[in-house]
Amino acid sequence: MKEKKYTLISIAAVAIFLIIWQICAAMNPGGMLPTPVAVVKAFFLKFTDKNPDGATMLVHLGASLKVALSGYLIGLLIGIPLGICMAWYKKFDWFARPLFDLIRPVPGIAWIPLMIILFGIGLLSKSMVIFISSFTACVINSYSGIKQTESVHLWVGQIYGASNTTQLFKIAIPTALPMIMTGMKAALGTSWGALIAAELLASTKGLGFMIQQSRGLMRVDIIIAGMAMIGIVGALLGVLLNLLEKLVLRGGRW
Amino acid sequence: MSVERERKIEAPVIECKAVHKKFLNLAGEEHVVIGDIDLQVKKNEFLVLFGPGQCGKTTMINLISGLLPATSGEITVNGKPVTGPGADRGVVYQTINLFPWLTTMGNVEYGPKIRGVGKEERQKKAQYYIDLVGLQGFEKAYPVKLSGGMKQRVGIARAYCNEPDVLLMDEPFGALDAQTRYMMQEEIEKIWQKEKRTVIFVTNNIEEALYLADRIVVLSNCPATIKAEYKIDLPRPRSYVDPEFLRLRKEITSIVDITK
Amino acid sequence: MTKKLFKDRDDFWRLICGIIAILGFLLIWHFGTNGTRLGEIMPGPIVILKSFFEAFTQKTAGYTIFGHTFWSLSRVLVGYSVACVLGISLGLLMGRYRLAEAIFRPFYEMIRPIPPIAWISLAILWFGLGETMAYFIIFLSAFNNITINVFMGTKSINQELVGCAKMLGANEAQVFRTVVIPATIPYIFAGMQIGISSSWAAVVAAEMVRSSKGLGFLIVSGMDINNISQIFVGILAIGIVGFLLATIMRGVEGKLCQWNVRGK
Repeated sequence: MKEKKYTLISIAAVAIFLIIWQICAAMNPGGMLPTPVAVVKAFFLKFTDKNPDGATMLVHLGASLKVALSGYLIGLLIGIPLGICMAWYKKFDWFARPLFDLIRPVPGIAWIPLMIILFGIGLLSKSMVIFISSFTACVINSYSGIKQTESVHLWVGQIYGASNTTQLFKIAIPTALPMIMTGMKAALGTSWGALIAAELLASTKGLGFMIQQSRGLMRVDIIIAGMAMIGIVGALLGVLLNLLEKLVLRGGRW
Repeated sequence: MSVERERKIEAPVIECKAVHKKFLNLAGEEHVVIGDIDLQVKKNEFLVLFGPGQCGKTTMINLISGLLPATSGEITVNGKPVTGPGADRGVVYQTINLFPWLTTMGNVEYGPKIRGVGKEERQKKAQYYIDLVGLQGFEKAYPVKLSGGMKQRVGIARAYCNEPDVLLMDEPFGALDAQTRYMMQEEIEKIWQKEKRTVIFVTNNIEEALYLADRIVVLSNCPATIKAEYKIDLPRPRSYVDPEFLRLRKEITSIVDITK
Repeated sequence: MTKKLFKDRDDFWRLICGIIAILGFLLIWHFGTNGTRLGEIMPGPIVILKSFFEAFTQKTAGYTIFGHTFWSLSRVLVGYSVACVLGISLGLLMGRYRLAEAIFRPFYEMIRPIPPIAWISLAILWFGLGETMAYFIIFLSAFNNITINVFMGTKSINQELVGCAKMLGANEAQVFRTVVIPATIPYIFAGMQIGISSSWAAVVAAEMVRSSKGLGFLIVSGMDINNISQIFVGILAIGIVGFLLATIMRGVEGKLCQWNVRGK
């Protein structure tokens, strides 16, 4: 009963906000604030309309996703094993850690100009930036995940004669899985952000490019529609990861 | 001694009239936890609620402390009906629940502090109770640095320092190891002898009950009702091997329903 | 006792290995760029270090490296402080009061999935090219992280402690001040730590898109004039400052959260 009341309050709050927005925007037409109705219209129109930036919403979205996912997946493929190895093999850690600590404090976004000079403004440079952004989060989380393994569990493994590798795969990595999933989620967030930054700076396609172009043309309705799309897709990717997490962890954290 | 105490005892401090508590479980079915309990606790009486495992003892404490509302019936403390939590009842929890961000002193002086007692006065009072529970020297320690027994001493001092009319102790030694538990039983008895309070003490340990109680109320298993009452007149401090102690122990244990 | 000895020996080897790793990396970089084809576009480590120290005194794009750092930091300071105040208050309110959660949570959930950087275009149109735009982007990125952490922290408070405070006579305001806030402090710090690194990234992004000073501008102007060592100087400064900011935040947390296992 009570929950229902609060849901109604939430709906009312959003409705009031939209109404105020509509009134404010309608009162000064031609200003920098389109009405919510105009934004929704622009959002749906953009699915079929190539104007003013040369491609429809879905084409931009496809371009963005291609860059983001390729960089993200490479980040996972390299970052997670690296973090695991650093945590498990002490000697490896001694060599890899200082190098990792060297690049860790630099936000992924700061590599954009360098990558553009080295690799141009195509897929490769942006993927590299996203790779670096997701890589750090993956390494840190899988590292601390493995480090959480309780010595007692390893002792049990040793008593039953498990080899070092078996202990890693059967004890340490299962322990680390929840943390690894957390890292994947964090990495997704930073990658999505880095992608938009990279597209704002240099690209010819993609959601970031779309809103950048619309800024030049003062098409605030398309900017907000683009931001909405970025938010929706980001949220959807997050939901997908949550589903994957449920599947991998069988519905709970152990 | 006991005659003298008898004379001081007047109107009941805590009175429960036909207290009844139902919960809805996840399936939406009603589940009676407390079935019509009538209970009176006199001033400075040490009452032990004794019963098996999950029989609703903690629920009873939560009802008296006002954290849960009773489904029906009435609970009064010093004649005032209980409507919610309040400083007239002090609680010592099994889970201890010290404020981890406060030192021993900070925890003990918490009650007087929020009532606006001046710093010097409340610290003097807190120091008295810290000394009483034997924790002098640990005033500045944070709870993470204290052992289980020490934490529970802080919990007791904190409840005492707020000067409540009644003390509610919900299996306060349940989480302690056996050795510490014996020690704490002796300790609480000493403290209570020195600073008499009206106490409701919940336990599932018969030795603990017999060692501490003026009166034992035996509860039945779900729903909890009063099964029997024993007035314990053994001289204090009691001995765990006193023949009368052993006899009562056997008698009470035999009527407790542990099968369910 | 032997344990300590071993630890010392481990620390010794760790240091040696670290030095070898970094030296090896620098050597590969040095010889990889020295007289090779890669060297034609990519400067070696010595050139970069030299330009880094030169940037202490020489002005690039109007400011020394300290000037650029100062501009970036001052922007972060403004946006981040506002985000701390608003994020902590909103997180506490939403976590403690169901009504506040019902009102604000939908908006928060709508804004959260949008990367703060995606607001840059809109912010430029709304606030012009001045400082306000940068403040806004920095604010957003710190605010998102701080709010969610404080909110989760407040939600996860041990309700028994709240009951305990009430039994000791605390009213709602006192519960809020003496239980809710202290219990949330570790989460506040966790949020503030993530917040400071994300706002540091945000200031770089904002300056890259539109600015005439700051470290983000330094690297992007390096890109425009094809000067890689200028970019590296910027990256180096961004990394050092980012590292210092994170270290300072951890130090403050350790001091203030002695009671907490996390703080130890």
